[in-house]
Amino acid sequence: MGLLDYFARLFGSSKKEAQVLCVGLDNSGKSTIINRLKPDESTSEDIVATVGFTVERFQTPGVRFTVFDMSGQGRYRNLWEHYYKDAQAIMFVIDSSDKMRVVVAKEELDMLLDHPDIRVRTIPVLFFANKMDLRESLTSVQCSRLLELEKIKNKQWHICASNALTGEGLHEGVQWLSDQIKL
Amino acid sequence: MSVENGKNELSNVDKSSIMSHEGNTKWLNAHNDPVASLYTFSSCMAFSDISGDGEAKLVIADLGTGTFDMKLKVYKGTTLISENAIIDLPTGVCTFYMDNNEPRVPAIGVASGPYLYVYKNLRPYFKFTLPPLDVNPVEQDLWNQAREDKIDVTVLREMLDSIRREGNEGALTVRSLKFLMLQDREQMESFANLHKVGQLRRQTVITCLDTLHKSTAEDDAISCLVVGTESREIYVLDPEAFTILTKMAVPSVPVFLSVSGLYDVEFRIVMSCRNGNIYTLKRGMKMAKLCFELNSQPVGLQRVGKNIIVGCMDQTLQCYSTKGKKLWTVYLPAAITTMDVMHHRLKGFKAVMVALRNGEVHVYRDKFLINSIKTEDIITGLKFGRFGREDSTLVMSTKRGGLMVKILKRNATFEDKDSVRGPPASQQQKLNVPKKTKVFVDQTMREREHGVSMHRMFQHDLYRLRLTTARAFVKALDSSLTPVSTNPNEPIKLAAQIQGIGPTFKLTVSLQNTSLSKPSMGLLISFLYDEKLYSLQKTMIAVPLLVPGLNYTFETLVECMSDKGIADVIKVFVVKEGRSTPIITAVINMPVSETMVVV
Ligand SMILES: Nc1nc2c(ncn2[C@@H]2O[C@H](COP(=O)(O)OP(=O)(O)O)[C@@H](O)[C@H]2O)c(=O)[nH]1
Ligand SMILES: [Mg+2]
Repeated sequence: MGLLDYFARLFGSSKKEAQVLCVGLDNSGKSTIINRLKPDESTSEDIVATVGFTVERFQTPGVRFTVFDMSGQGRYRNLWEHYYKDAQAIMFVIDSSDKMRVVVAKEELDMLLDHPDIRVRTIPVLFFANKMDLRESLTSVQCSRLLELEKIKNKQWHICASNALTGEGLHEGVQWLSDQIKL
Repeated sequence: MSVENGKNELSNVDKSSIMSHEGNTKWLNAHNDPVASLYTFSSCMAFSDISGDGEAKLVIADLGTGTFDMKLKVYKGTTLISENAIIDLPTGVCTFYMDNNEPRVPAIGVASGPYLYVYKNLRPYFKFTLPPLDVNPVEQDLWNQAREDKIDVTVLREMLDSIRREGNEGALTVRSLKFLMLQDREQMESFANLHKVGQLRRQTVITCLDTLHKSTAEDDAISCLVVGTESREIYVLDPEAFTILTKMAVPSVPVFLSVSGLYDVEFRIVMSCRNGNIYTLKRGMKMAKLCFELNSQPVGLQRVGKNIIVGCMDQTLQCYSTKGKKLWTVYLPAAITTMDVMHHRLKGFKAVMVALRNGEVHVYRDKFLINSIKTEDIITGLKFGRFGREDSTLVMSTKRGGLMVKILKRNATFEDKDSVRGPPASQQQKLNVPKKTKVFVDQTMREREHGVSMHRMFQHDLYRLRLTTARAFVKALDSSLTPVSTNPNEPIKLAAQIQGIGPTFKLTVSLQNTSLSKPSMGLLISFLYDEKLYSLQKTMIAVPLLVPGLNYTFETLVECMSDKGIADVIKVFVVKEGRSTPIITAVINMPVSETMVVV
């Protein structure tokens, strides 16, 4: 065992572990975001539509994340709630260019926040208003107004505009999430 | 809500009543643009992934004002991404795969006049023209003469008009019809001079359009186009070469089509026609077969499974089997404006959506109303299906030109509200039947032992009752105790009425001669009563000639002379001079009279 490994373990063990549930409608960019957050060598080129869910791991200085990337297609959305109990944070991705489906995202969010496994807990919720690069996209302020985020009272939440293709905005969001978890 | 002043517009509907409408809570309001200036119908709307990016677009042929601004519009989500002008009024839109080329993008077909315009990748790709019809030889001859200036325009007009009057308008070419619309001589002359040299063509018009899978049934398999025409024909067109694969005849002009099956294997076309009948066509048939006749004009036609569901002008939704047997009828609260099928893929059921004049959209699964949506305007176009990435999206165009998008909530459930099928629930409940008592057992024993004699006794009594009844009837006839005369020579109806509370009553007798033409003469009304009890103002009334059909009334006052609170009957007779039996009799039960209060 090398010295480096030793140090890594020493510091590693002081890291917090966090299970994050990544949800949002299909095609909002969840898999692309998570792929972007993974270390460079393991990113994949093509993102195909997720069936069921996939589990990904990555770390930030301080927190080791295990992310459940859930499929957002209508018929898989009822799987989400099975993972609510163990989730220590929620990452909710919105396609800010899909104006028509903001109401659907809101409906899913409302159901999530009202679920018995979520309602009373004080876990942090991070929103990505993704696809900010597209011309017709809504700003993060418009998104939070349409989703009525101001009504969330018992949880810390944060919204950032993001572009999963370039990675813009993602680190700001993940940094906020690590800070919340480390507290 | 009501239709006002014949304007057919909804009076201002209370917004909050729409928000709180129970059926609306199953839907998310994704978009509502009341001023989209979109004027279209269900037949001119389609969902399709025409750019092949996995997101279904909304393709709409906008009728504009009917003469200007006709456009083919494509919406991606709620943004308009493309507009193409259409030259003539569109009558139908469909999307279909015309080849197996990659990437798989469907084409758009727009029916307009005698043409079918095909667009691919949002660019005009092909224009198909229906084959021309034969020109009436007399009409042809007339125009030939006009070309050689051998005929005067007024004579031409006269002759053309006579052809129009003989047959129907469809018998003439568009040129002749336009010519007939001109009023003064100058216009006619310039029109004739301008057009007489060209070749005379008679064309038909496409009335309806649908698609039919060619040889496989997958969603993205190649489809043929099915076209119904004003010349009472159905054409099936090949999607690659745009040749006519089959031509079939229909007894009347087809208006709505419903196509199912595969062209190469077996298919069925159900159509509702302008004569109010529903016809079917199958592979190999040359002429459509009558399926059933409706008692009201159809305004929409849908197929759900093996059933044909027709919306009619008399505010009914009727369901028939493919054999033409009527299965059920639902009476609707308002007239139908348009219809569509709601195919709920996730839950695996099909229902019929019916838009109504009162601004509501009703959803029927079989004959059960499972949902109703309230909107601010009358819906003219209705389309349910996959739009964008949502499988259960409802797009509606409104009469005032609005566009509405609603998305069905993921966990919305529908119940057949007005009935659980099978016996009603109360039938399952156990009744609290009491124990058998001794009396009950004794009765049963008695009935068992003396069954035969009991039956005989009953029959005996029954016959006696009938006999007594018959005797009383004969007696009544003999003495004319009935208020309707049975004497064929004096067909008279009598009605007597008593009014007042006493001691003075008014007795009104009305007589009607019920014969068709024979007047009655020489009749008298007389009364029979207890003279100690009553005194009548007139004891005999002479009846004038009774004209058939008219109602005559006669009145007399009756005074009750007793204050003992007793009442009797007064008999009213209609008698004829020189006959001993009355013609008719009425018996009036007098009410008990109030005593006179002497102050
Ligand atoms: N323009 C743009 N496209 C994005 C962005 N994020 C994701 N996409 C695209 O959106 C599509 C769906 O992404 P995906 O990660 O599969 O969505 P998921 O269903 O939420 O997992 C892919 O084609 C991505 O390339 C973004 O920020 N901007
Ligand atoms: Mg995914």
